[in-house]
Amino acid sequence: MSNSHLFLKSGFPRAPLQNGIGRYVCQLQRVTLKFCKNHGSSRGMREFIENHLVDFAKENPGVVVYVKPRRHRGPVLVGEYLNGDREWLNCRNANKDDISKWLQLLKTQNGSSSSLRLRKMWHTDVPSIQGPWTPFTLRAPEANVATYPNADASRPLDVEQSATDKLIELFKQQRLADKNKSTDEVLEEKRAE
Amino acid sequence: MSLFRLSLRILNQNKGLTRLPVLDQTRCFKRWVAPTLRELRRRQKKLGPQLPQPRSGFIEWNYRAELFAFGKRLHEEFDLEMLQAAFTQPSYVQKEQVRQRDLGIVETDVVIKDNYELSERGAYLANECVRAYLSHSFPNVPVVGINAFTDYLLSTGMLSHIATHLGMTELLLDDNYPPKQESLARSLLAVIGTIEQCSGQEQAFLFIRDFVCTQMNQRDLLEIWGIDDPELMLKQVCEERNLGEIEPRLIGDCGKNTLLSAYHVGLYANKKLIGRGFGEDVATATKVASLNALQEIFGIQDNMRPLNFQAHLKPEIRNAIA
Repeated sequence: MSNSHLFLKSGFPRAPLQNGIGRYVCQLQRVTLKFCKNHGSSRGMREFIENHLVDFAKENPGVVVYVKPRRHRGPVLVGEYLNGDREWLNCRNANKDDISKWLQLLKTQNGSSSSLRLRKMWHTDVPSIQGPWTPFTLRAPEANVATYPNADASRPLDVEQSATDKLIELFKQQRLADKNKSTDEVLEEKRAE
Repeated sequence: MSLFRLSLRILNQNKGLTRLPVLDQTRCFKRWVAPTLRELRRRQKKLGPQLPQPRSGFIEWNYRAELFAFGKRLHEEFDLEMLQAAFTQPSYVQKEQVRQRDLGIVETDVVIKDNYELSERGAYLANECVRAYLSHSFPNVPVVGINAFTDYLLSTGMLSHIATHLGMTELLLDDNYPPKQESLARSLLAVIGTIEQCSGQEQAFLFIRDFVCTQMNQRDLLEIWGIDDPELMLKQVCEERNLGEIEPRLIGDCGKNTLLSAYHVGLYANKKLIGRGFGEDVATATKVASLNALQEIFGIQDNMRPLNFQAHLKPEIRNAIA
């Protein structure tokens, strides 16, 4: 998005009036085809009007089609939508296939899409399954019956083994083979020394 | 320097005088464009903000075609004369009569049908159908709630919102443009009345279901139906439905005696948890818990099943409405 889009109307894709839940209503309410009768740039528009316009109007009885000849002005498609938007499309030198494609676009969108900057390019159907987090979400059941101050809960989670502890462990491993004396007795002796 | 330029200009003028007068084109910077635009802007500013122009004043406007397309767009069959009557406000007929009188016609013979009767019939139908649909969709909600939902759906704001999104603003024959919200709402009700006359009551119900009732989709129902005292209501509901005595209990708290304290209160009836809520103090948490319990009891939770927008009228209700 460049700086020129900063002041463009922004929003999220929304179906107006819950369209499609009850029944689908085509959002294009009228379309105006403006063209010149003898200028070259309107040739495609004239061909479209001669060959396809009647079929288009028959297929889409809900769209009012106006045809407006103007002398020596460029061909233009103007669509008006149910939400009040008006979309102006320049069709200079466009051929009749281009025009039927643009018309198809006008027919299938629900407002002037080129005048809306999308706020987000992604969409989530279910934003969260378990709801927003609270201090009570997924709490351990023991926490309900614990009495405070609690020695277990006060201890830090990462207490590293000290050098003394390591030595004691090594010593115990050495003495494990010697079954005559228990390790604790040996320790007592060593301490006495 | 300026003296030199002046002498050059005089020389050029002399040359021009001797030549034959010919219209010759020159390509240059158009120095008139900016001042003209500035002047136009100044005049526009002086006029002040202008009213929006009605679309019907444009050259490309065919009212009959617009009426025809309106029906086709909504997939409804209309009698065009009747549809035009549905779009005609009584104020428009009065305005026409006044206009004729001002033109000097003593005996005004304006024979335009207005939408008064159609809209009355439409209002009755809409009320009955919306009520029937809502009571079918929310079987556990008491009458107060159904009334609140019905008022929301049939409020002038909501009806005019629907009417504008069906493209009725431009079709409306009213005494001023843009039409008022009331006119739009009346006109939508008149369209409902017209559908009943043209295609029958079943079709009118389908129209109401598809365009009015669908507005309940994904709405926060407690926002529409503001319950003032949820604790009192919960008490009454529990008495009516024999759920037992309500007992609020603190089931968790954190940050006591701090600015960010949070209390978690659960409501129990017959030793069963019926609702839970959070709050910055116990009273608020109890209120939220009561709302939660009411939501559970009435079946209007935030994560409730989507409403069925394919429902049809039962024959006995259809007969009752007629």
